Amino acid sequence: MPHPNKEIAAVLKYAISQGWHIIEGGSHAWGKMICPYNDKACRCGEFCRMSIWSTPKNASNHAKMLRRVVDNCIIHKHKASRKE
Amino acid sequence: MTEYDFTLKFILPNPDMNPEQFVEALYEAGCDDAIIGTGKNGYLALNFIREATSAYEAVASAITDVKSVISEAKLLEAAPDFVGVTDVAALLGCSRQNIRKLMVKHNTSFPQPIHQGSIVIWHLANILPYFKTMGNYKVDNSLLELSKTNMQINLAREMRELGITSQHIENFVV
Repeated sequence: MPHPNKEIAAVLKYAISQGWHIIEGGSHAWGKMICPYNDKACRCGEFCRMSIWSTPKNASNHAKMLRRVVDNCIIHKHKASRKE
Repeated sequence: MTEYDFTLKFILPNPDMNPEQFVEALYEAGCDDAIIGTGKNGYLALNFIREATSAYEAVASAITDVKSVISEAKLLEAAPDFVGVTDVAALLGCSRQNIRKLMVKHNTSFPQPIHQGSIVIWHLANILPYFKTMGNYKVDNSLLELSKTNMQINLAREMRELGITSQHIENFVV
């Protein structure tokens, strides 16, 4: 089931395309997303696993913050720059 | 009302504690405007975009929300406050090279870092006014206000670790 909010659903689709795992389940939480690298040395640390709300206060902001974590992952950036 | 975009990091009372158990309760406590990072046992991180009348109100109410769920959680850091060249470049929307160039060119007038070694660290609140006077950088007033609030909160926490307390400090470490 895609996330009921279009903006958040789009970010989740993007995250999946970048290798993130999405796990559905929860009540206030629609689910969670988990970073593909699971690297102990990763500096993002806490946000390698994060909650996705079903009904966040502001869906656009929620989508923006989730997307930022995916884009800021240091290992991800490193891999992307090697591909170029 | 202004939107403030900030991150709070907490250490949980027990290092083996899985932070995921608090997620639902945090929503009910008012953290529906945050993403909750639960990637490390013993830690909890929240990135808020919170509407408030002041940066202090935004950050203090967020700390109160978290403490109402986990009263023994200890605040580790309110961000953004401590920044390096990469962070400053990202916040101002320019390149690292651009910042480095300014540091070399204006080495006496450029804001003094709090640490200069293999890496250079500033308080964001000390560096933003400099870029504001430069004119050609976009410095958000709300970011400046937030950086000052976070600096006060982080300093207050460090002072308390040293055993230095005063009412003023207590007001900042909610």
